[in-house]
Amino acid sequence: MTVIMKDIHAEAFAGAVPEGIVPTPFHDRLAPLSKAKRWTGWAGYISPLVLDTLEFEYFAIRNQATLFDISPMHKYRISGPDAARVVNRLITRNAEKIGIGRVGYAMWCDEEGMVIDDGTVFRFGENDWRLCCQEPQYSWLLDVAWGFDVDISDESEEIAALSLQGPTSFSVLQAAGLGAAGNMNPFDLTEIEKDLWISRTGFTGDLGYEIWMPASTALEIWDRLWGPGQTWGLRAIGYEALNIARLEAGFIAAGADFQPVHIAQRLGRGRTPMELGFGRMVDFEKGHFNGRRALLEQMKKGPRYQLVRLDIDGFEPADDALIYYRGKKEVGHVTSAAWSPTTKRNIALAELKAPFGVEKFEDLWAEIFVNHEGVWDRRMKRISFIKGPFFKNARARATPPAAF
Amino acid sequence: MVSSTNPEYDAIVIGAGHNGLAAAATLARKGLRVVVLEQSAQIGGMSRTSEISEGVRASRIAHLLYNLNPVVAKELGIGSASSPLATRVIPTVTLSPDGRHVVIRDGTPAYADGSAHPEAATYAALRSRLHKFAQLLGRLSTMSPPDLSGGLSSMSGLKELGALAALGLDAKRLGKKDMREFMRIILSNANDVLLDELEDGPLAGSLAADAVRGSCSGPRSPGTVFSLMYRLAQGGDVALPIEGMGAVADAFAKAARHYGVKINTRTSVEKIIIEHDRARGVVLQDGSTITAKTVMSSIGAFQSMMLTGAEHFDAEAVRRLRNIRHKGTAAKVNLVLKDVPVFAGLQPDQRAGRLLVAPSVTYVERAFNPVKYGDMSTHPVIEAVIPGLADPALSEAGAHVMSAIVQYVPHTLNGGWTGEAREKLVRLTIDSLEQYAPGLGSLVAHADALTPADIEAETGAPGGHWHHGEMSFDQLLTVRPVNRLSRYNFGVGGLYLCGASAHPGGDVTGAAGRNSALQAIKDGVAS
Repeated sequence: MTVIMKDIHAEAFAGAVPEGIVPTPFHDRLAPLSKAKRWTGWAGYISPLVLDTLEFEYFAIRNQATLFDISPMHKYRISGPDAARVVNRLITRNAEKIGIGRVGYAMWCDEEGMVIDDGTVFRFGENDWRLCCQEPQYSWLLDVAWGFDVDISDESEEIAALSLQGPTSFSVLQAAGLGAAGNMNPFDLTEIEKDLWISRTGFTGDLGYEIWMPASTALEIWDRLWGPGQTWGLRAIGYEALNIARLEAGFIAAGADFQPVHIAQRLGRGRTPMELGFGRMVDFEKGHFNGRRALLEQMKKGPRYQLVRLDIDGFEPADDALIYYRGKKEVGHVTSAAWSPTTKRNIALAELKAPFGVEKFEDLWAEIFVNHEGVWDRRMKRISFIKGPFFKNARARATPPAAF
Repeated sequence: MVSSTNPEYDAIVIGAGHNGLAAAATLARKGLRVVVLEQSAQIGGMSRTSEISEGVRASRIAHLLYNLNPVVAKELGIGSASSPLATRVIPTVTLSPDGRHVVIRDGTPAYADGSAHPEAATYAALRSRLHKFAQLLGRLSTMSPPDLSGGLSSMSGLKELGALAALGLDAKRLGKKDMREFMRIILSNANDVLLDELEDGPLAGSLAADAVRGSCSGPRSPGTVFSLMYRLAQGGDVALPIEGMGAVADAFAKAARHYGVKINTRTSVEKIIIEHDRARGVVLQDGSTITAKTVMSSIGAFQSMMLTGAEHFDAEAVRRLRNIRHKGTAAKVNLVLKDVPVFAGLQPDQRAGRLLVAPSVTYVERAFNPVKYGDMSTHPVIEAVIPGLADPALSEAGAHVMSAIVQYVPHTLNGGWTGEAREKLVRLTIDSLEQYAPGLGSLVAHADALTPADIEAETGAPGGHWHHGEMSFDQLLTVRPVNRLSRYNFGVGGLYLCGASAHPGGDVTGAAGRNSALQAIKDGVAS
């Protein structure tokens, strides 16, 4: 007689842990919009690379309004009597300078001063914060918070979020009955309705907002924006269009422009905030924070590398190009690159080995390979350094915003 | 803010154990103004002599001296006219249930009745080989652990490499055969190495017991060959300090005072003051403040962090410090005896030796098993001495103390350390000894048991651990107490660790205190 073994493990956990990548709270609205059927996995969620076409989506960011589902971002609540101290211990900038009802961009480092991740910190109250970022940080936050009177909770699943970006984004809000957001300044955070939070933040360098809600009301909020938004050209977009916009704005992306040090496998892959061009985000005067002593040491020695913004001759995107000094000596490589449709420039972020990008800027060349229908061509293109974002527009900061 | 005023001292040393005193004396010897703050009424930490019952004094916790570092002793004048310290080297007597006890004198074993031991030559060769290897490692004990974080591009990096290279050179000088043997056994366990050459009897048992004394490991645990070497670092001789271990602490205190150190007992530190990432002094329990340029802490590494405040340490450091393994497993049982007990098969004068209950390596391993699960050994490993036999001044009333280190006894006992549990510990100790000294129980006038929890409460040693942290490979050299904090500097500027939790670790050696003081001077923070 055959004894049939019961897989009690599978039975007990059936449905408890999803298999494969899972839909976000907005998936039921995104899926029907997808003509391209180009999806990617983002932190375990199904996320669009392109829904319609890259060009339509990119130009919607700069000319209309766009919705991008940022629910897969990791969100952590940090609250309790010592919350402000813990946030200050975590991040390199001074958290006390982020007011209540404000959001701040921040980086945080390991003991060697290497960036673990970057993200935004939201201050709901004196001691009530949210950290929003790309990489999972729960166990790290528990380590940082040890010895402090604070609660850390992972809100990643409970909180759904949409990024509404583009010149008509405020008009969309207004049409959806959320016009009260009109007096919000950049980086303001407000509970516009019960359980519906809006921050004037984004990853495009344009006028825009991020909308935070319980996952249970996600579809309701989507519908509320989507219908009235059509008058203002509202489009849903995927990551590829956003990636061009963020590069134009000069924002860096984890995994591309720096390697989050906790997931880098190889020694020496970590970079400090100074090396990424964010020295101004490090406040040595605020007291101890993680990595402070190592960063102070680097301030004395100088950076080993420098992430720089480049304008490259020609129009062929310089993805992965190596950078040469005098056309011969390899001194760095491009980390992100795109033809910028708005500024009409061939832009890139690149990492150079010091002293290049720190004190030596002359006679540097990008080596770009182009494949013309099966024939490779190697082109050496002169690079020049750009200070500040490639794309900058006053509408991003106008308060109250007009219907641009 | 205290930084605006002139600091009262160049250095404050927290804890007047022998390492704290060694650090203080080393600093003061270089002309610095030093104060030592000790929370209890008595100095010495685990090295103290106290009255066990009326008219009878004995070493309260530690009772023998193995490894006092000769460099430290010479530098500080320990044992010289200004800081006298008398010790008497005593033989080791490893007891056998069949009465064929083995007496080891000057590294040579013989039966208690004087007849030759068949393994005498093998034992001597094994011990001298282990001692030779131990000396190789001993070279590292009087310097800061190497720091290779700077790579090889800087001069300091090259200097560090030089120190290691010298060690490598010494290792090469061992010769091919010894070198191969060194590499073969260094990470191995005592059980395998000992039983490769010796029968599993009292002689092998004595080395197994020495390999694990004070630690939470059995002879089959990896790394116990290393701890045996550590034990044999100064030759493996065991010395009984005249006037008890308190005399050792007193010698260190005398040396410190000789150089101008002030020692304040009953002075409990509440907090280490940090301003602008620099240690500035301490706040005492009464709320008063003492300021200094440097603060040296000889208490446990985790405890030192807590006194400073976790906020001054990187999260990685906090995590590592929280996870230092320091489960104390050695209890101290002091038995006041109405008369000197009779050991079947031992000459009366042999009772003045170090008496070991470790009849085999297997016995020691079995004794270790229960402590893993929170129970005490029913057949414990015991190291006992009757100091009054070698040092009559200790027992005026004719009574004697039998001082016993009993292993394995958990810090946190299942069911807690109730009165009943303590009685059981005393009873198990007496029962085990009675196997060899029938009638011992009837001689006991008073018994005094200090569990690892008691030792922690009395001395502050984390987990009641004799070495402030397990002496295992993951907690030694460049990772003692933890990775990145091994060079005595404790993260914050001017804050140093100077106790057993720092390199080279436990035992009464004085090296940790002395090395730390020298590093602080080298770093230029004290003056």
